[in-house]
Amino acid sequence: MVAVTVTAVLLTLAGIASTLARRRIGLLHLAGAALLEALLLVQGGLAVVRLAQGETPADTPTFLGYLAGIVLLPVAGVLWARTEPTRWAGTVLAVAAGAVGVMIWRLQQLWEASGG
Amino acid sequence: MAERAGERATTAGPGRVLVAVYGVFALAAGARAVVQLSTRFAEAPVAYLLSALAAAVYVVATVALARGGRRTALAAIGFELVGVLVVGTLSLLQPAAFPDETVWSAYGRGYLFVPLVLPVLGLLFLRRTARRPPG
Repeated sequence: MVAVTVTAVLLTLAGIASTLARRRIGLLHLAGAALLEALLLVQGGLAVVRLAQGETPADTPTFLGYLAGIVLLPVAGVLWARTEPTRWAGTVLAVAAGAVGVMIWRLQQLWEASGG
Repeated sequence: MAERAGERATTAGPGRVLVAVYGVFALAAGARAVVQLSTRFAEAPVAYLLSALAAAVYVVATVALARGGRRTALAAIGFELVGVLVVGTLSLLQPAAFPDETVWSAYGRGYLFVPLVLPVLGLLFLRRTARRPPG
């Protein structure tokens, strides 16, 4: 959760930095995105396990919707950024990472509003 | 796709960022609309149908921008601007009519006002890319 946020924020900053420096995205960005995706998959896996054990947030459909969306974002961001040959690729990645940063907190809120 | 002379692609450079943001919103609004419509449609049909409409507009705008469909993008983004202004105003004047949030409620306050800023950026971008010579 904290790790996801930190990674997402760092990736957002790295993306913006490469745009400001007028550079294309590099290995650093791809590695960051891969790490973010891995963390999200672990987090998502844990959530699914706990859901299966009967621990459900009050608004389960919304929670699942966010969960499905958030694991897709880094992948979509990387695909969309990699085909962009200019400095704007970094910003594309920053948008995806920033969205992940917001969504992970929303997921946390939804989880804490447990229906019991 | 069907680029006329003198127009720049809507998928290069900053345009790509715009498509990314639109994509995120299409996803967010779409997922929200599906959940709302499928689980509690009866509670606030108007608000939820508006959510679905907003989601559809974002999807159309995303696809149109991504494929360089300038005219479609213009229509979708224009509609989006009108939508956020009308729904935003109505939701403040008559909160009772909007018992649950839509993407466009209170000018998109729940989404950091991005829904209000996005169409303006989109229209400016379409204008700019239409005027510039290629390259």
